[in-house]
Amino acid sequence: MIVELFTIPALILIAGAFILPLLPRQTRGTAFILFPTIALGILWMLPEGSLLQATLANYELHLLKVDALSRIFGTIFALITIVGGIYALHMKELGQQTSALAYAGGALGVTFAGDFFTLIVYWEIMAVTSSYLIWARRTEDSDKAGMRYILVHAFGGGLLLSGILLHLSEGGSLLLSPLAPEYTPSSTLILIGVAINSAIPPLHAWLADAYPKATITGAVFMCALTTKSAVYVLIRLFPGWDILIWAGLVMAIWGTIYALLANDIREILAYSIISQIGYMVTGIGIGTEMALNGAAAHAFSHILYKSLLFMGAGAVMYATGKNKLSELGGFAKKMPLVVILYIIGGLAISGAPLFNGFISKSMIISAVGNAHMETATIILLLASIGTFLHTGLKLPYFTWFGQAKSEFAVSKIPINMKIAMGIAAFFCVLFGIFPSLLYNHLPYPVAYHPYTAYHLVEMTQILIFGFIGFWFLKDKLNTAPNISLDLDWFYRRPAHLVRAIFVQLPDRIFAVAENIMLDTAQKISRISRNPRKYLYYGDTDSTGQPVKTDGFTTPIHTAMAFILLGFIVVALFVLI
Amino acid sequence: MKKWHWILLGILAVISLIVEFTMVEHHGDYWWSHIPAFYIILGFVGSVIVIFLSKWLGKLIILSDEDYYDR
Repeated sequence: MIVELFTIPALILIAGAFILPLLPRQTRGTAFILFPTIALGILWMLPEGSLLQATLANYELHLLKVDALSRIFGTIFALITIVGGIYALHMKELGQQTSALAYAGGALGVTFAGDFFTLIVYWEIMAVTSSYLIWARRTEDSDKAGMRYILVHAFGGGLLLSGILLHLSEGGSLLLSPLAPEYTPSSTLILIGVAINSAIPPLHAWLADAYPKATITGAVFMCALTTKSAVYVLIRLFPGWDILIWAGLVMAIWGTIYALLANDIREILAYSIISQIGYMVTGIGIGTEMALNGAAAHAFSHILYKSLLFMGAGAVMYATGKNKLSELGGFAKKMPLVVILYIIGGLAISGAPLFNGFISKSMIISAVGNAHMETATIILLLASIGTFLHTGLKLPYFTWFGQAKSEFAVSKIPINMKIAMGIAAFFCVLFGIFPSLLYNHLPYPVAYHPYTAYHLVEMTQILIFGFIGFWFLKDKLNTAPNISLDLDWFYRRPAHLVRAIFVQLPDRIFAVAENIMLDTAQKISRISRNPRKYLYYGDTDSTGQPVKTDGFTTPIHTAMAFILLGFIVVALFVLI
Repeated sequence: MKKWHWILLGILAVISLIVEFTMVEHHGDYWWSHIPAFYIILGFVGSVIVIFLSKWLGKLIILSDEDYYDR
């Protein structure tokens, strides 16, 4: 059994998180890369099916269930953990290394979980370990953001668990299988719990709040794992749920608008995640084989180019110590390789032909078109133009080109950061040129061809004229030192009010109640010392003799003691 | 943007138009399928729309000072 457990890819990474502290400091970075590499090898050797069961109480747990869908997600999670590990090779902080490894283990665990219990355990591991990647930045901002992040995810995990328990109590199966599209309390709770992790509005604000505040290397793991593992669960449980179509469209536009407004470079990328997940969620809502294939393929592509983009933004922060468009500019010549690699990611996310965004995004848009949803198609195309504008043009233009907007030095960045970016960029181009490498491993057979004259014309024209639009209107884009208010306003702004109502008010009520109780107890104890004294005033009785006030104390104490003893005896008797 | 950048973009746009009118037989079943060079219009108008929409929403409600949450 113990040996079999280590065929579970997730456990290899989690075991790695425990082994890492025992290794010498200098070897930890390399060892970090070793664990996801082993996991990647193993997950490709595993046959399909439910491979490992265990029993918990009356339930049979499926600890390791492999099929095409879980294998494709598992592959990209393991691959990006390797790339992220290379990007973080220069970083020697043990806490970040172990939590990143366990976090990736959580994501792999979710991917290969066959039942709800196994899923929720890994789900919570992800929430806890990823929080540390925010706190490890060690600024006041990141402390608070990390706290908000973990509270939101604890809430989401709670909803998911309640949904699962309710689902079981209704006689539902413990196995992960598509839920019937009916809004029962259990399915609604599960959907909301998963929606929080997939950052579906109005439950998305945690993402853009937390990711820009994470550490440089931590954000690379975060942008790849949490939302995409939630997308995986959506594909598993909620394919064809109509509500997801509209949720996805709202996401796509919401993310676009906020990304166009954002000033912090990683905030632009964070909102751009929300926009991209919108495509996947729309695809899952449509629920046809082509749409689900598209969602899985787009998650795969997205992880590659988005982590490339986050690595580029991280390189800027590492070199300049700055992260705002309003302070950067004019140093493209000092890091040409990073600029080129970033632009590859930018073209990939914009869906330019020959890059991997093209082969997956067009699949979802075609699936939406095949479902005869013209408005939805136009909305996704608009979001696609927006993506090109903010991630493909606005960010690189105001970061590296134009005038420098403040004084800053540009220091050298470690070579491993460039290598990691190079690997991610290589895969973005590889899958873009050879789409069948990805298509052959999608959950359903693929009959789709992205490189048709029609698609090439469509994307080329959109990108060229989107660029022209940007060039003439770029001064209209916000690059002032502002922040964007999002729905986290509802739990951030009224924080003092919430604290007053839920913390300070109960505190005061308890304080008053405590005082009243103590006061009463004191009075009662005074009475019991000499109750006669309260029947009439004075220290003398009716005949004028002085009263010995303490004469009653002993008998009353004795009586009370007997009464209490009686209570204890009766209580013990009842209990036993 | 140097002059040759614009020339390059122009050449690409012309090629895309040539391909559109010679090689694309099936244009899809959308209402816009019969509008020639629709994606050129969409690319330009779309970028104008999203830029001004975000600018308007930003002014209206979204953008705020950086110390907003610290006040």
